[in-house]
Amino acid sequence: MKSIDNGIAIFRDISVHLTGFTSMELTGTGMLETYYHVMVNKNNLGVVEDFLAAAAKILAENSKDPAKLRSAILNNLMPDGLYSGLAQNIITMWYLGSWVNEIISPQSYVQGMIWSVANAHPPGAKQPGFASWNVAPPQL
Amino acid sequence: MTQNKTYDVVIVGSGISGAVIAKTLTQAGKRVLLLEAGLTAGMNLDRNGNYLNYVDYLNTFYQAEIKVPNSPYPNIKDAPSINVIDMQPITATNSPSTTGYLVQAGPLPFASDCLRGPGGTTLHWLGSTPRMLPNDFKMKSLYGVGVDWPISYEDLMPYYEMAEFEIGVSGNVDQIKWPEASTEKQQVALKNKYYGKNYVFPMQEIPTSYLDSIFTGLVKEINNNDPVKFNGKKATIGFSTTPQGRNSVPNPQYPYRDILWNPKKKKLEFQTKKRWNIQLNGVVDIPEDEKYEYLPVGSTWDPNTGLRCEGNASCVPICPVQAKYNALKTLFKADRTKTTIKTQSVASKVLYDEKTKEITGIEYKTYNTANSLTYETHVAKGKIYVLAASAIENAKILLASGIANSSDQVGRNLMDHLCLLTWGLLPEKGYPYRGPGSTTNMSSFRDGPFRKEHAAWICPIDNWGWAWPVFSPGSDLAVALSKNIFGQELRALLADSIPRQLLLHYECEQAPEPGNRVTIDPNYRDAIGNYRPVIHYDASDYMKKAFKAAKDLNNQIFKDAGIQDYTVYSPTIAQDYVGYEGQGYNFWGAGHIVGTHRMGSSKKDSVVNADCRTWDHDNLYLVGCGNMPTLGTSNPTLTTTALTFKAAEAILKQLEK
Ligand SMILES: Cc1cc2nc3c(=O)[nH]c(=O)nc-3n(C[C@H](O)[C@H](O)[C@H](O)COP(=O)(O)OP(=O)(O)OC[C@H]3O[C@@H](n4cnc5c(N)ncnc54)[C@H](O)[C@@H]3O)c2cc1C
Ligand code: SF4
Repeated sequence: MKSIDNGIAIFRDISVHLTGFTSMELTGTGMLETYYHVMVNKNNLGVVEDFLAAAAKILAENSKDPAKLRSAILNNLMPDGLYSGLAQNIITMWYLGSWVNEIISPQSYVQGMIWSVANAHPPGAKQPGFASWNVAPPQL
Repeated sequence: MTQNKTYDVVIVGSGISGAVIAKTLTQAGKRVLLLEAGLTAGMNLDRNGNYLNYVDYLNTFYQAEIKVPNSPYPNIKDAPSINVIDMQPITATNSPSTTGYLVQAGPLPFASDCLRGPGGTTLHWLGSTPRMLPNDFKMKSLYGVGVDWPISYEDLMPYYEMAEFEIGVSGNVDQIKWPEASTEKQQVALKNKYYGKNYVFPMQEIPTSYLDSIFTGLVKEINNNDPVKFNGKKATIGFSTTPQGRNSVPNPQYPYRDILWNPKKKKLEFQTKKRWNIQLNGVVDIPEDEKYEYLPVGSTWDPNTGLRCEGNASCVPICPVQAKYNALKTLFKADRTKTTIKTQSVASKVLYDEKTKEITGIEYKTYNTANSLTYETHVAKGKIYVLAASAIENAKILLASGIANSSDQVGRNLMDHLCLLTWGLLPEKGYPYRGPGSTTNMSSFRDGPFRKEHAAWICPIDNWGWAWPVFSPGSDLAVALSKNIFGQELRALLADSIPRQLLLHYECEQAPEPGNRVTIDPNYRDAIGNYRPVIHYDASDYMKKAFKAAKDLNNQIFKDAGIQDYTVYSPTIAQDYVGYEGQGYNFWGAGHIVGTHRMGSSKKDSVVNADCRTWDHDNLYLVGCGNMPTLGTSNPTLTTTALTFKAAEAILKQLEK
């Protein structure tokens, strides 16, 4: 079995390519450790290990060629039928803070990445201040 | 067990209607007992407990999978709330639908909910507070629809001002456009007539959204180039900014400091030199040299929080900072030495003397924990009784008691705004999901001769994308994932499309129909033996015709403005689905539950008189939206609150006779 540090590192690195966020943006949510454990606990351990092993292999073999990396992920990780849909669930977790349909915690909702993608903020949190909505949001 | 203490007034319900009565009466020196069905925790008067309870609501909201209006708040078996999440289509095999608190007999399910808990439904209302139009009070004589009110707009004007003071309305009178005005001069004349020449709202307008400017800009071009056709004629589309019950910047021109009872003149009066002081629990003189400012009311746990809207964009279902008005703000201003509050106390029946018709008490049941099966029964005694339990519950309690119904109107004429939603992608980014739910509305179709044929509507521009009909942005992600889109491509797709989402909702005024009604049935009771409301509900052709007219108008706007239409109506998109002239339409509820114990000028066809007093019982008043004979195109709470101030004045007059 891989060490937990190694597991989290692979989880983070593959999450970068699955979600389209930088490593910095993902870790900036403060949710990396929690999400890793949610993934592990919500799944059969064998499935998670196989997924991480496959992800590590894909990342290592295609590190120089983004187009190849993309197609390897598309064909070997993304399809719904593979690894109990883990890849898609990981994307949803980062974007919405939920595992499948269940919001993980109040904090995970607040840290959902979809809101910043939309140039907004999670409703009910991170409020941008009086009259902020009157002008276009600052562009990231 | 009978309460040995007798109060001046017993009130049922701590929503805005009950709170306005409690505050006004206790500040005038009357002793009040307030019965509230919801949990004691929600009524916490101590700051810390109050804050912790609210944070609990907030965290529950964060974690709710489906963020419907009631999602932050506890649903209690012993005092269940109506909840839109319980709505189901009514079919041959599911009739009536009995999933939630309501028993839905159909043919269509009633689509709105409200909250049973301290503070009532204002905890999750949006807070839009337009006044009704003068013509809305005369629907029968002008358009042959429904009934006329027993009072006119002019009669209600001073009470509208009181309601605007109490809620703390932010707005700009000059930006409210009158549908009948076609020139700037007419516009000013109508404003002067219906608001008064110098009238200003307590606080300045809440800034409108960037999205408003994008959409109204597109419509302006349509107006200039090739105006839309409405019912066959060219029409110019006009917009108003929406007055709202959320804090902004105090208006320096606003003159009033409080509303107090004048026992000599027997009137509620605006004050400029005195005001109620919450800390001192009494009236104080305002020093001559004190710089005047309307004082916005902040959160109930900290006067330094919530003094201005901070753009949390979650007013429905919960404003984290309480910049939005809620009824606890009013209730906490009541004279504490004269107010007794009993929580976890569910009113079940009004008792009366068969001979004199006088009300003699209110029977209520208390429970110890939220879902306990045991309860105790008590009777509360007062000189005057006020039901403020919201429209459906008020009617249900009256029916369960067999009172106030010589007109046979109790429970009838249940109304709501039937919302036809339309959604599309703007040609450029409007950046929704920011700011209050809506800041501008399309106001041209709120009145006109067409009301003889079909319902009028107000059409707010929604600031929160497609969240309402299709649960965006979660659903946008799901759609992209179903196509195996991921990584940078996924991010770019969502970044391009979500900021272009536009949602409009045409809030069509439901006409009163006697068959749309609340009834009771001994077969349907809740956990502590109280009746559950049985609802009979349908949409008439008057409504369906409005859906068609609104959709026709919307199609022209979307096409001419280059808005990609994503609207779909089907039985699966929402539970209320109707067909009209070969076309299907969905409608959604607005939360505007109105009309179940209407006021009128004769005891033959109405339940209460113009003071909200029941015709049948001299010491029983009903307050809340149930009093409204017709709905108009305004959100109902401001009008209801104006009526509630009128009722409070009448109660004080009666007590001091
Ligand atoms: C999602 C949503 C958005 C809305 N937005 C707006 C808006 O923008 N503008 C607007 O004007 N209106 C809006 N409304 C409507 C508005 O919230 C209501 O009209 C208003 O809150 C009604 O106030 P009320 O005091 O009459 O009743 P409620 O606020 O419903 O209060 C009733 C009170 O009585 C208590 N109670 C109930 N039954 C019993 C019983 N048997 N015994 C003891 N106590 C009882 C309840 O716990 C509650 O405290 C909205 C509603 C919803 C659902
Ligand atoms: S926009 Fe946010 S801060 Fe403003 S009233 Fe609504 S929830 Fe409160």
